[in-house]
Amino acid sequence: MAIELVSARYRYAGSASPALGPIDLRVEPGRVVGVAGANESGKTTLCVVASGVAPAVIGGRLDGSVRIDGVDAATLRPHELAQLCGLLFQHANTQLSHTTATVFEEVAFGPCNLGLPVSEVVERVWWGLRVVGVEALASRDPARLSGGQGQLVALASVLALRPKYLILDEPTSELDPAGTVQVADALARVAAESGAGILVVEHKTDVLARIADEVVILDRGVPAVSGRATDVLADPRLAELGVEPPAAVRLEREVRAGGLDWSAALAKATA
Amino acid sequence: MTASGSRRLDPAPAVPSIEFEAVSFAYPDGTVALDGVSLRVEPGELVAIVGQNGSGKSTLVRHLDGLLRPTSGRVLLGDRDIRRAHVAELAGRVGLAFQNPDRQLFAGRASTEVGFGPRNLGLRGAPLEDRVAAALEAVGLSADVASNPYDLGYSRRKLLALASVLAMRTPILVLDEPTTGQDARGVARVRAVVAAAAGEGRTVVAISHDMRFVAECFRRVIVMRAGRVVLDGAPESVFGEAAWPELRATYLEPPLPAVAGARLGLGATPTVSALVAALAAAAGGGR
Amino acid sequence: MTASSATPGAAPLAAPGAAPLAAPLATDMGLPDYVVRRPKGFYHSLNPATKLALAALEVVAAFAIPGWLGPGPVLAVLVATALASRTMRSLLLIGLAALPLVVSIMVVNLFLLPGASDPIGRLGPLAPTWSGLWFGLLTTARLLAFSSAVALAYVTTPVDDLLADLSRRGLGRRGVFVVGAAVQMVPRTIERVGEIMDAQRARGMDTEGRIWRRARGLVPLAAPVVFGALAEVEERTMALESRAFTAPGRQTLLRVPPDRSIDRALRWLALAGVVAIAALRLTGRLG
Repeated sequence: MAIELVSARYRYAGSASPALGPIDLRVEPGRVVGVAGANESGKTTLCVVASGVAPAVIGGRLDGSVRIDGVDAATLRPHELAQLCGLLFQHANTQLSHTTATVFEEVAFGPCNLGLPVSEVVERVWWGLRVVGVEALASRDPARLSGGQGQLVALASVLALRPKYLILDEPTSELDPAGTVQVADALARVAAESGAGILVVEHKTDVLARIADEVVILDRGVPAVSGRATDVLADPRLAELGVEPPAAVRLEREVRAGGLDWSAALAKATA
Repeated sequence: MTASGSRRLDPAPAVPSIEFEAVSFAYPDGTVALDGVSLRVEPGELVAIVGQNGSGKSTLVRHLDGLLRPTSGRVLLGDRDIRRAHVAELAGRVGLAFQNPDRQLFAGRASTEVGFGPRNLGLRGAPLEDRVAAALEAVGLSADVASNPYDLGYSRRKLLALASVLAMRTPILVLDEPTTGQDARGVARVRAVVAAAAGEGRTVVAISHDMRFVAECFRRVIVMRAGRVVLDGAPESVFGEAAWPELRATYLEPPLPAVAGARLGLGATPTVSALVAALAAAAGGGR
Repeated sequence: MTASSATPGAAPLAAPGAAPLAAPLATDMGLPDYVVRRPKGFYHSLNPATKLALAALEVVAAFAIPGWLGPGPVLAVLVATALASRTMRSLLLIGLAALPLVVSIMVVNLFLLPGASDPIGRLGPLAPTWSGLWFGLLTTARLLAFSSAVALAYVTTPVDDLLADLSRRGLGRRGVFVVGAAVQMVPRTIERVGEIMDAQRARGMDTEGRIWRRARGLVPLAAPVVFGALAEVEERTMALESRAFTAPGRQTLLRVPPDRSIDRALRWLALAGVVAIAALRLTGRLG
C-alpha cells in the first residue's frame, strides 16, 4: 500500500527532453514526504506524475511505472484517481470552482461530483473542514477569503473526496507567515488523523523540518539527496542544490564555522 | 553590476525623501486600509515593511506613485505634494515592482518587456539598449534576452518583471514581495539587486514576509497591523525581545537568531552573523 | 484546535459518520441554513423557470400590445411585484442606469419623429411635437418594462439556484459549470484588469493623456489578461479533475429550487398569454 514510482521518467507533450526522472519514490500512508529543490528542478512535474494526472489528463509520455496501491496509475480514470490521490496547487484561486456561494458548497463540489447521497456529502464536508480546522469558514463566500484561508479551503475540498494520498505543490508559497503556519499545522493534523500519505513540495525548509518524515531534494529532474528529513535537511550539499537549509541548521553551521562550540545551551535556545 | 564598471550607466537622479503625513485611505466599499499613517523615509534608506496580508502594506506603497490617492492626509516626495501628480510622471521617480509578474508581462520578447518602462520615460536607441542589458544582467537573465517571457518558469518571470522596473533606474525602488516563489539562488539575486541599489544611494522599500531577508538586508523595519504602523525601527529593536508581544499580536515570529540571542542573554541578534559575533564576544570575555 | 490535537491518543477525527461538532443548525438532510437558503416571500420562492416565463410574458405584452395598453399594465404589475418582494431599490438603480438611453430616446422622438406635425412650440431651429412626446414616452415605458422584467427575475434568483434548476432539468454538469464559471468570471476579470493597469501605469504607461496615446496601451493591458487566463487553464483543468469533475453519473444537488403546482400553473398561464397575444396580433385584432 503506497504510491510507488519505479524508474519513472516523464516528458511533457511537445517537449524534447524529459522534465523528470529517472526517479524511484515511495509514499506510504500516514507518512509525509517533503520535496525541495531549485526552481525548474522538476518538483511540480513530480507532483503531476505521482498523482497520475500526467499523463492521464495533460498528456505527455511516461516511462517506468507509477503505481498507486499496486494499481498502474495509467489505467485509472481521472475521477478514480481523484479518490485515491488528491492534488493541491500553489494558487488557491485556480483550484476553487468559482461556481459556489459558500465554502460549504465549495467543499461539497467534489463529493457532489461523485453523486453521493446528500447525507454523506454533508458528513464529508464537515469532516474535511474539521480536519483542516476551518469549520468556522463554512458559511463564508469563497471569493472573499484571505490567501491562507483560500488554501485551507482548497485543502478541505480535496480531502472531502477522502483520498488515501495527498500531493501538494508549494501550498504555502503565496501565504503570509500566519497562513503558512495554518497550512503546516493542518497538514500535520491530516497526516496524523486521516492516515493519508502526503507528498509535499515546499521551498520553506523550516516547514519541512516540522512536518516531513522523509525529504527528497531534486536536481534537474532526479533525486540528488534523499532520506530521513533530519539527515537531508542537515546535508551540506543543500545550498549548492539551490535549497536554503532550515534556520536552525544554518545557525548551527555558522556557529561552528565561526570556530565556536555548539553548546547544549545553544541547541536548547534554537530548538 | 556596480562592481563590473564596464558599462557606463547614467547616475541615479537626486533621491527625494518620502513623507506620509497622517495618511488614511478607504476603498470604495468602505474598507479602511490605512488609518492615519505618518512616517518619513530619508533618501537612501533601506526599509522593509512587514505585516499580515491585508494589513495595508500594498495600499501604502501604491500611494508612492499615485496609483492610490489618500482619502485624507498628504504624501510628499521631497517637498512636493504628489496627491495630484500624474502616475506616468511619478513612474520616473518611483519604480514599483509588483508581486505577481503575470499581471504585467505582455511582450513576446524579454528585451521588449524590460524596455517598456524606459521607453515610456522617453529613452530610445543605444541608451535604451544599455538599460535593458544592464537590468537583465542584474537579475541574471542576460541569456534570456530574446526569450518569450511566457516560456520562462514562474521564478524567472518574476525576476524579469523586477528587471523591467530596474531598467527605469528610478531614485526610489519599491519591491512588493520580491522573494516569494524564488529558490535560494533567486533570493540571492534579489539581495544583490537591493545591495546594488543601496550602493548607488537609492532608497529601497520592500514588502516581505521573509524575516531572514528583512533582518539581513534592511536597516529599518516597519511593522503594520490593520492599517497602522505598530513598530518602526532597526531590526535589532523591532526583532528585539521587548517587541515580541507586539510582533506576535501581528502573527509574526522573530527570526531564530533573535530568539536564540535573547534566550542566551546575548542581547539583540536579529541575524546569524550578529549572533555569531555576540557568541564570540561572550566567549572572548569569559576567558 | 491545536490544544485538542496535541493530546496523544486523542480519538481519531476521521471516523466517518460522526456528527459534526459545533456545526451550525442543520435542517434539510443535515444541510446548514446558509446552504438551504429558503427564499423569503412568494415571488422569491417561485422557481427560476417560472420567473423567466413571467418575464417573457411581460416583455411580449409590453411590446406587442399597441399603445399604452401594453407597457401600462405591465409596469403596474412590475411595480406591485417589486414592492411586494422588496426589490424596488434594485429596480430603481437599474432604471437609473438606463437613464442616458431614456434621455436620448426622448430627445430623438421629441424633435425628430418623422411625419409629426403637431408642434408644442419652437426652440430656435427645433420644433418639439406632441406626437413625438407621446411616442417617446411610450418607447421609454416599453424599455423600462423590458429592463424591469428581466431585472426582477435576475435580482430575485441567486445564480446557483438557476444553475441547480438547469441541472435538474437535464443540462449536463459541463454546461452548468460553463454557465456558472462565466458568470463568476466577470468580477475576477475586472479585478485582474485593475492589477494589470496598476502595473503598467507604474511603468510609466500614460493612461491619463490623449486618446491616441491611451489606445497604444491596449496591448500591454490585454495581453496579460489573455496570457494569464491561458496559463491558468491547465492548472484549473487538473484541479477540476482532481475533484472528480468528470465522474460518470448524475451529480448530487444539495439544493433543488422548489417547483410547486403554482409554478406550473403560472408557467402555463404565461405561455397561454404569449400565445394569445401572438394570435391576436397575427390575426390583426390588436390593431
